[in-house]
Amino acid sequence: MISCTEFIPAYSELFKYLEEKGSKKKVMEFWEYISDEYLNDSLKKSVEEAGIRGCWNYWSHSLNEEAAAFTMTLDEDEGEFTITMHDCPSKRMLLNMSHMEPYHDYCGHCDVLYRRVLEPLGYEYIFDDSQTDNAKCNIKIRKIR
Amino acid sequence: MAKEVMDRKASDNEYLHKDFHISMNVGLEFVRENYGRDGVVEYLKTFSSHYYAPLTQGLKEQGLSVLRDYFQKIYEIEKADCKIEYSEDLMTVAIHECPALKHFKKMKVTPSSLYILTTLTVYETICEGTPFAFECLEYNCATGKSVLKFFRRDLL
Repeated sequence: MISCTEFIPAYSELFKYLEEKGSKKKVMEFWEYISDEYLNDSLKKSVEEAGIRGCWNYWSHSLNEEAAAFTMTLDEDEGEFTITMHDCPSKRMLLNMSHMEPYHDYCGHCDVLYRRVLEPLGYEYIFDDSQTDNAKCNIKIRKIR
Repeated sequence: MAKEVMDRKASDNEYLHKDFHISMNVGLEFVRENYGRDGVVEYLKTFSSHYYAPLTQGLKEQGLSVLRDYFQKIYEIEKADCKIEYSEDLMTVAIHECPALKHFKKMKVTPSSLYILTTLTVYETICEGTPFAFECLEYNCATGKSVLKFFRRDLL
């Protein structure tokens, strides 16, 4: 068994493996695959059932279990949900590993996976990845009116 | 409706996101569908030789105690039972139920037919180039109940 606490390096190495085997296109294909296979039963279902609050419900569960340092806000009147990631545990783990290099676009999966679920449901997905080298990022999800 | 805010520090929670087991399973399935069993073995060997390099080095320098400590730590984190019988030359690890397969069952996820390789390929790779070898004595694909044996190669 690979422990769930060892998954992040396994994920990063999988991106590298796929890029070596079949270029970045294969990595993108995998990100779309995992979005369809995993998020359709979790994030998608949650948003379909509860609207923008579904984002709050989904990330409340995952970010707490991942022991992230974050601020999440939900404004149902405005149809807006934000995550300010102060310290992403996944990226931090990869940055702290001295014996392994993280995949060069590790955080790219966060853009592809969630956008693929949310945009068809009528939400705008804005991902600010300008500070991912410091394990920080911002996500804003807005209901398109 | 008022705006809701949730603020968390890393120390507020324990790091244990069991759904990562599901993501691992999805990853294995993608590799299997695209590159077959050989691809899954190749990926797991590559990952293991990189990520577990300190464990492999530990096996060379300090012996099986490094692997014993690793199993104790991982199964404690995963809140699962693992019975270890240890001597300097031989160690057996008896796992009552694999925490990943238990989570799949709870979440109604079908395990990859190659999930067993996260045991076979990973531990074989960790032992490669060390004085120790690995043998899987028992493995139940439904529950992950297993008995793993690590032993000094010159005892073969």
